[in-house]
Amino acid sequence: MKRKYLLFLGLVSFPFYSGGFGAAQDDASRIRVNVVLVQLNVAVTDSKGNYISNLRPEDFAIVEDNIPERTAAFEEGNERRLVDIAPAGGVPRWQSALKIVDLPDTSTATDQTKPPTPITSGANVFILFDTSNYMYRGFVFAQDSISDFIRSLEGVGKVALYSYSRDLDRITALNPDRSQALHGVRSTVAGDDAALYNSLLMTVKDAAPLTGKKAIVVFSNGPDNASLVPPEDVAELAQSTGTIIYMISTQQAEAEPISTAVFERMSKATGGRAYFSRSWRDEKQAFASIRDDLAHLYTLSYYPQANPNRGWRKITVKLVGKDLQKYRIRTRDGYRLLHPTQAASTNLASSE
Amino acid sequence: MNVLLRTSRYLKTTVFTLGISCSLFSAPALSAAPSPAPRPEPVQTVLIPGPLRSFERMAGISQKVAPADVLPFFARNVYMLGYHQSTPTEFLILVDRYLQQARELQVLAGSAGVIKVNGCDDAGTLIQILGYRLRPDCGKKNFSLETANPERAFLTIDSGFPLVDLEEALQNGTPFLYPYASTRVPALFYESDWAALRTGQRKVSADLVDVLIGDRFTARLYWAMAKEDTETRTALRRSPGLRALLPYAGVLDFYGSQICIRSGHVQLPGGTAAQASWRDLAGANPDVPGQFVPALLAKDSGWLAAYFDALSRISQVQQKPLTQSPRLKRLYEAFRQLDPETSATHGVFRKAPDLLVLFTRIQFEPDGQPRIPGDLATWKDVLHQKTDSKVIHEWGKRSSGWNTPEQMFEGMAGLARVETEAGPLQSFLLISEIDRKRQPGNRLTPATVRLLADRFPRYKSWYQIFTEFQSLDNTSITRFVSIAEAIDKIPNQNLRANTEGSFQATVGLWQILARQGQLPTDNLNPSWTKVLEPFATVSSPVQLFDATQSSLGGLLAAAGANPTDSQTQISQSQIIDLISGPRQDNPDSQRVRLEMAERIRAVLDDQRLASLDTVFALSDGLKDMAQSKAKGDRLLPLAEELREFDMPKPIFTNREKINWAPAIYVNHHAELQVRTDLTKILKGQATHEQLEAARGQLAPFLRDTLVGLNYAYYEPPGAQMLHHNPLFVRSHDFLGVSIMGSNPLWGSPVVVGAGSPAGGGAYLIGSLADLPFALATIEQDFIAPKNVQALIWKELTPVLIVSATTPRYWGVTPNELHAVNLYQRCGEELLTAAASNPELRTKVLEVLSDRIAPQRMEELEHALLRPQDVSNYLNHVMPAETFYLAAEVHTRFPDLAPSWGPASLQLEELRTRFPAEVTPDRIARDFGVPHPTLAQTNASDLLHVKPFPFFGSNSGRLFGESWESGNLYWARLADEMGYSPAALNSLAPNLTRRTIANIFATEFEDWPAVLRAMHETGDEFRQSKLTALATANPGVPASDQPLENTTTR
Repeated sequence: MKRKYLLFLGLVSFPFYSGGFGAAQDDASRIRVNVVLVQLNVAVTDSKGNYISNLRPEDFAIVEDNIPERTAAFEEGNERRLVDIAPAGGVPRWQSALKIVDLPDTSTATDQTKPPTPITSGANVFILFDTSNYMYRGFVFAQDSISDFIRSLEGVGKVALYSYSRDLDRITALNPDRSQALHGVRSTVAGDDAALYNSLLMTVKDAAPLTGKKAIVVFSNGPDNASLVPPEDVAELAQSTGTIIYMISTQQAEAEPISTAVFERMSKATGGRAYFSRSWRDEKQAFASIRDDLAHLYTLSYYPQANPNRGWRKITVKLVGKDLQKYRIRTRDGYRLLHPTQAASTNLASSE
Repeated sequence: MNVLLRTSRYLKTTVFTLGISCSLFSAPALSAAPSPAPRPEPVQTVLIPGPLRSFERMAGISQKVAPADVLPFFARNVYMLGYHQSTPTEFLILVDRYLQQARELQVLAGSAGVIKVNGCDDAGTLIQILGYRLRPDCGKKNFSLETANPERAFLTIDSGFPLVDLEEALQNGTPFLYPYASTRVPALFYESDWAALRTGQRKVSADLVDVLIGDRFTARLYWAMAKEDTETRTALRRSPGLRALLPYAGVLDFYGSQICIRSGHVQLPGGTAAQASWRDLAGANPDVPGQFVPALLAKDSGWLAAYFDALSRISQVQQKPLTQSPRLKRLYEAFRQLDPETSATHGVFRKAPDLLVLFTRIQFEPDGQPRIPGDLATWKDVLHQKTDSKVIHEWGKRSSGWNTPEQMFEGMAGLARVETEAGPLQSFLLISEIDRKRQPGNRLTPATVRLLADRFPRYKSWYQIFTEFQSLDNTSITRFVSIAEAIDKIPNQNLRANTEGSFQATVGLWQILARQGQLPTDNLNPSWTKVLEPFATVSSPVQLFDATQSSLGGLLAAAGANPTDSQTQISQSQIIDLISGPRQDNPDSQRVRLEMAERIRAVLDDQRLASLDTVFALSDGLKDMAQSKAKGDRLLPLAEELREFDMPKPIFTNREKINWAPAIYVNHHAELQVRTDLTKILKGQATHEQLEAARGQLAPFLRDTLVGLNYAYYEPPGAQMLHHNPLFVRSHDFLGVSIMGSNPLWGSPVVVGAGSPAGGGAYLIGSLADLPFALATIEQDFIAPKNVQALIWKELTPVLIVSATTPRYWGVTPNELHAVNLYQRCGEELLTAAASNPELRTKVLEVLSDRIAPQRMEELEHALLRPQDVSNYLNHVMPAETFYLAAEVHTRFPDLAPSWGPASLQLEELRTRFPAEVTPDRIARDFGVPHPTLAQTNASDLLHVKPFPFFGSNSGRLFGESWESGNLYWARLADEMGYSPAALNSLAPNLTRRTIANIFATEFEDWPAVLRAMHETGDEFRQSKLTALATANPGVPASDQPLENTTTR
């Protein structure tokens, strides 16, 4: 079976399908596998939820489908520490560590001569605001809340502001200027059906090509009455692209069990969390939690060992050593190989 | 929450365009001299409180409309969205509140018209009006604005007040200045005209905005009058007057835009020859508009107006026989008979769309009789069939006495009032199209017509294939029906579903190859037979597998794709190679073709479908094992490959799925595949029967991959479901078993499962007929609009997408592509020249009168009378109109020297040197659009009809199909920018997608908004802003993939 897979995830840029003629022109029997790092954002907390810092790369053990993996890059919060992985003889580890995924007929790999791209300092945060009819009553209060959240973001690289109802609106593009995002919040309009999962899918795709930590913060009370894609597919894509999803809701959302279930499970699967406050005016705790999360996440990267599995690959991260077993770990639990079309942004036009 | 709130932003209204050329009726006058300039109507402006942009946001009006269009759109939205029964909706309440807030802010802005705040000390009043407060107090650390009064705050936000600018100014200690002047916009007539009509109970001022808000009937009349041309509405105001028209506002809105008064006479379909008939029908003299128009509107609760409207919209050529005496009156008599008391304006949409289709498409024999496929006796039998409709039953009884086609035609006109999609009229329209262009020896026989009509309700969606390929003969047609019926009789439900899927998918591939010219025309019938015949006797899964394989083999052989020596089996790459397009000679076209193939592969991969190579190799291996020729070991890797498909990681438990999506959660087909494990058979000592049964287990996999090939071929631009829901293809429900009570067998697929998060995603129920439209319907929701409040209305967007994805451009030569460009430019040169050439102007207007409605015709006439205005007006002319103008002038006036400009000369040279490549017919075939509703075919064509009005239900597609400008315009751009014709295979869909994102419209029929969006897209493309498209041309460097696509607020 001849297939082109992209083992995606993080640090190395990859070709989009729109530029993929070259691949098509290659001998069809060859498979081009773009080998990049798998990047994991890991929160380590004690039983009270306090973040545990100053852990070392060797404190973590990563296993993918029962195959032990070696950490290639390590970062705590926004402090990047590259693991010394150069083997004897001076060949950079990133070169020797690059493996062609063991698929039938595999013959080529991408550029193996370059080291992993440095992780960008500060996370990229996409805010996705539900402006559907379901938010009508609390619309202005939710705006206030999102504005507060944007103002509170520290240590975050860039912020984008999207909104959705039946369609997705990319209101302000990812950029470091908080004022633009604030203007964006106040320019939203309310109304129409709610297609949360459609819109979340497109947001994940916009985030996919980014390097470094990336998170989507959804402000929604649910429910969804117009999406075509199910939440399972969105969660898988977010996991496969290393995108963390945080859901911010009010207790109003808890009246609708489907949304509650999805919010909790999807955010957990991607390494994020779901918050249900009493009202939109009472989200301070959620904001602080997300801010702390982004500031304290460990980022571990590895080049996957040869793995014949072309389906879902399960990832397990554990702490090594008796003393660390009392801590809890939160990260995504796997990923799936993606075709370039699945990772390409849905955006057609350049910035205007 | 009130749904209507947002709905108001997503519906729209346009003032101009729709309608029929008034000049059409006054053609004789045109040939002598241009129409006189319309009498100036009283023009007044009215004051809109606050910035116009804010008002437009609140009123659901595109912020790109001209000031003159603001009040008509507003009136339209008040009527359409402002009231539920007689209670104001949230939309209207918000508009009302906004106007109050705007007036308060205006007071604050003072005579200078500027809101000015110097700092915290004088911000209080403004902030209070806006509904906010400062938290903590102004001047303290990190203070900001927060909601104090949610009702006011909502208006502030919704109207786009620059709240953050105010906040930042206060935080920075800088002055805040915001111009807040009122805006004057033109109004129809005088405010007092409208104030005098007030019928509502609300007490309102004489202010026109308040009058419109307060009385939806007045608002509707305002909207209806705005759609008339200036001379007509001025005449109507004078006589019979607005008050007399008020009771008929609904009729005038739906059916009045084609009414045209010139020099004191109502212009009539059929012209002066039909005057007596119209006078009899309406009971008033058309030469006295003040009497005729109210009579027309009032007659039979609006049905005569609907009849008048339908006839007004068709071409002059078609009008002539239809308005002859006594036909005009007899047809109306038939049309009105069904319950004339039921209002023609009941409901949200116009009525009787099929009457317009019937009049547009009916053909006449040389003796003047309407053409009927088959014979009269057959249709009488059809009408006698059992029916639940009293009207159809009544016409069936009457048909016993018919002995002429004319009588049957009258009956069909009468049936146009019946709201159904599968009645005798719909059958007649479709079968007529099948027979339309057939040569005498290949006409439909009465027996075939009878068969098609009998089975119409069940198989009608598939009949369009016989319209598209008219060389399929009577035998081929009847064989299709008989095999479809045989499949329907398969008792086992799973087998029947898989057989239908495999059969339809293979026929779909035949259709693709035939359309792309890869099946020789003289071989269409034999290849059709090869594809169909294997499915005639399927009674087990293994038979189905073998039948599908045989059918596919026959198709490939017919397309010339014979297996090579080393490859005795059908290969997936062979099929993809074929459907991605005919082989190309030049490198650029080859590259585009490879891109198309790669896209198809990507869909198959992302749907995680089994490779045909795997499936066929497994089948062969199992056969060998059954004959003891081989062992199963070597097949184990293939069997493992088959098991690679796994369901998405579940979020819900099975119990939750059943509880939360009980009506939709059906994935038995996919789950069955997950459970399929051939390794046990391969490893063990299987019997012959077990091995055969194992081959039968491959049939569902084969079905899905073939269905997937069809999905992939028609992939809409920017598709997401095809790449992110791996169950999408597998979930296709051919039998409708997943929804109780649905009966979609062989029908057009419909989307189910949207908005049901626990249901596993949306999917299609029905057949593969009309698949491009169904896919476009699904994928349209993934197009992110560029403009806030932009309308992505479901009725048009899928049609636009289909118009761009179905046509392919492999057979287009560079000369032809260049000619498409030249035709459009030649049309523009003709218009420019006409401004200073009265004789030419007359000819130009005469030609365009067949395509352009009265109101736009009047604007065009005015523009052509002022040479300085013509260049500006060219932006308002659609590409299909300039193309038509250039082609028609050449045809109708061959003696005219084509010297209107450089494009005209170049076109003439091309005509001389390459006559076969540049004919309008050829260009229509290559750059037209499918008309599956209007002409019952997916073949591309340019029908050159006037823009159809919007009808509800499936007839809404008529409206979209009359937009024929897209592909012509993309071709012009491609030619200008040096792209090859083949590049259009990629460019046209992507540019169309961008056009949809750019649309900023106000109502359903907002053609100018579509034209504007198309021009914007063209400009972006010319300026290389659409970077993702740049790869379509190796000469254009691809820049970094952008992330930004900010929304215009």
